[in-house]
Amino acid sequence: MLASETAALTPRVLPATPLFRAEALTKRYDANLVLDGVGFEIGRHRVVSFVGENGAGKSTLLNILSGIVTPDVGAMEFDGRAYRPRGYGEASRLGVSRVFQEQALILNIPVYENFALGHEARFDWVGQWVDRAAMIKMAERIVEEAGIDVDVRRRTGSYDFAKRQSIEIARACLAPTHLTGIEEPFILLDEPTSALDRRDEEAFFRLVARMKTRGSLVFVSHRMSEVIELSDVIHVLKDGRLVATLDAADADEQTLHGLMVGRERVADYYHEHRQRTPPAEAPVVLSLRGLTGEGQYEGVDLEVRAGEVVGIGGLLDSGKSAVGRGAAGVELPSAGTVALDGGPAGQPAIVDFVRRGLGYIPAERLTEGLIAAFTVAWNISTASGQDLFSGRLGLWRRRREIETARRFVAQLAIRSGAPEQLCTRLSGGNQQKVVLARWLCRDPKVLVLDNPTRGVDAGAKEEIYRIVRDLTDRGVGILLITDELLELIGLSDRIAIMQRGRIVAELAAPADAKPTERELVVLMLPQGAPAAAREPAAAAAPYTAPAIRTLTS
Amino acid sequence: MTSTSEALRAPRRIPVLNRDDKSLLLPLAVVIALAVFFSLATDSFATPRNFSVVTGQAGTLLIVCLGSTFVILMGSIDLSVGAVVLLVGSISVTILNATNIGFGIIPIAALCGSAFGAANGLVYAYGRIPSFVVTLGSLSIFTGIALQILQGRAIQFDSAGFEQVAIGQLIPRLPNIALCALLAWAAVVVLADRTRFGRYMYIIGGGETVAHTSGIPVRRYKIFAFALSGLLAGLGSVLAVARLGAAGPSLGSDLLLNSLAAIVVGGTSLAGGVGGPQRTLIGVLIIAILDNGLNLMGVSQYTQMVVKGAVVVVAVLVSQQRLRNAVVK
Repeated sequence: MLASETAALTPRVLPATPLFRAEALTKRYDANLVLDGVGFEIGRHRVVSFVGENGAGKSTLLNILSGIVTPDVGAMEFDGRAYRPRGYGEASRLGVSRVFQEQALILNIPVYENFALGHEARFDWVGQWVDRAAMIKMAERIVEEAGIDVDVRRRTGSYDFAKRQSIEIARACLAPTHLTGIEEPFILLDEPTSALDRRDEEAFFRLVARMKTRGSLVFVSHRMSEVIELSDVIHVLKDGRLVATLDAADADEQTLHGLMVGRERVADYYHEHRQRTPPAEAPVVLSLRGLTGEGQYEGVDLEVRAGEVVGIGGLLDSGKSAVGRGAAGVELPSAGTVALDGGPAGQPAIVDFVRRGLGYIPAERLTEGLIAAFTVAWNISTASGQDLFSGRLGLWRRRREIETARRFVAQLAIRSGAPEQLCTRLSGGNQQKVVLARWLCRDPKVLVLDNPTRGVDAGAKEEIYRIVRDLTDRGVGILLITDELLELIGLSDRIAIMQRGRIVAELAAPADAKPTERELVVLMLPQGAPAAAREPAAAAAPYTAPAIRTLTS
Repeated sequence: MTSTSEALRAPRRIPVLNRDDKSLLLPLAVVIALAVFFSLATDSFATPRNFSVVTGQAGTLLIVCLGSTFVILMGSIDLSVGAVVLLVGSISVTILNATNIGFGIIPIAALCGSAFGAANGLVYAYGRIPSFVVTLGSLSIFTGIALQILQGRAIQFDSAGFEQVAIGQLIPRLPNIALCALLAWAAVVVLADRTRFGRYMYIIGGGETVAHTSGIPVRRYKIFAFALSGLLAGLGSVLAVARLGAAGPSLGSDLLLNSLAAIVVGGTSLAGGVGGPQRTLIGVLIIAILDNGLNLMGVSQYTQMVVKGAVVVVAVLVSQQRLRNAVVK
């Protein structure tokens, strides 16, 4: 048994051909050249990364590799044979599997059924009866091999987003081997770690290392430190062209960012020199008093002054996003009050707050932030139907709507954007700018931003940070909720740290005396756990910082 | 619906309404094909007399469909429009016979209708019950009340000249009920395309959570939509009563299928956010021509039901195909 396992893990004698080869892949949408003659080789047992800003062509490239999109020009070869899949189904039969950015798990069935999805026929037992025991056994093998802590009999939806993400990664990596006996799978990972907490992230890293002995992986992520740590080779895409190929051993974040955006990454990415912490007498524009959301957060007191950025940090279960929803009145809190812009303290209500100058940007862009099937103009005007874009009798001001949209497309440099362009055609960063424009056009007094740069590329991130500074210069108060420690530190004037629904610390973060990530992480971890003294590998802690990995970078 | 000047100025135009306009071609082609087919297949279809008949029949259907188009555009469904028509019709007949109100019954009917619609909307928006369930319940409630009022019989009204509202012809050959329907259609198209209410319907249908986080009073507009649906059903009802001269237990009974059929065939997606009342006119024409033509050809009532059901299913199939293309690119 042991001997056979070691044999399975030892690389076979390698054929000389690369596992995958692409030549001159080109794809055009209308006038938009998304991929321009991209060619590369992926060796056997390699982890290869593609990095680039949003809109650089990464998603299209992955779509082509996984058979969802056919290239206009170009050829591909997989394991020495021509590879022209006509859909993801065919690609996965050939041994190419993919973890999608949006989760593709079915929530109301047990985990093991998700593993067997599309392969139920293998578990047939006298005609239509499904052999559950065999399915469960197979699923348990996958989970064990992946090293994730999941009970395969539980309903998939009972696990949180991060857990489901690791389930999905395990499925993509291991299901081909266990189900179809494909010997050298080719696995495409599209931003797989963006929602993982540290324990699962470590399991993911181990999983990648293990899968490398089996097949090859393509990895796309915005987290450069991860890219460098995981990959053997890094390809840099810019405006649809492959501009550089680096050995991961000689790459560093600075160089990669430089190559991606075509300029050296400026030292103060967060425009800290523009940070002006407002004086204590500046008016309070948002004030939370004893805000409580049943089972999510409790007794939250917080004040945001005009021109101030107040950041809330905390672990995934700290309830910080729920506080944002409560403060904006999107989800009614069960107790406590919110006062907006010197108004009376009371139960927050989003409809009323929006009219009085509050804006809210949710973390889930595609389900809560914008309607991708609608145009840029429609998405920008959404929040201003009560005042800016409708006159007396409720008539819609279409000309003003189009003009406003055009102005903000230019002002925020929304690439390939036009007022009547559908948002489905925009990249994540540009979609987020559309959501920002929705509030900017209202001259807001307070903005509640929940992970405003999630899934946004480096260039657009910097532009969003610049917009945040512009807003505070104009006296806008900002409540920033973010999973990214560096963003939290870089942008905030004051930082509140939450733990299990309560604010446990509040500290100043002036431009000249920023707290370090290490200081914040210690505050985020549950009491009685002096994290600073702990080895980073102490994965036994039930809750760890989502962004703790940045400590080492 | 987009004005030409604006369309010309836009560098790359793929706005929602223009895309709609392109997809209008198929339903329009169906209207023409049906008209040509029935003209050739029967002697009586392409006659001025039959034009009056078709437009008269289509009038009620169109008025009733206009309101529920908004409900469907918003991503909900209103199964109770036929029942509202029956209930408002029986109330109207009773009032007409008991008083001397005459034409004054029209605003009363509209008011009754919007009250019933608003009741649906209130339960739906505040009770957080699927609109399908709410209106399925009220379908039964309204029908029950109406049949009690009518005692299960058809009641004629005796208000001299009132029927002229529906069957008089201000424009030769075009019954007034059809004229009213066209005017209502024009008003509702403006409402959908040029007002806050219309825009909010699209946004709520396209993404209710997005609407909510953007500060749109979603519940209020849901109630508005149902009230509007009821209002137009009430109007359609009183005009239908005027046209028929009576209100009977079968009033509005074919509207449940016909209204949903017309809206969906016109191209408003049951998923919400796509389509609009401008398209419902074409759906209504398809259903009305189909009804009328099959009658003229002597096709039995039962076969007609089969045909109409098939048309609805095919229409949804075709529109879903389009939807899939839009998403997958």
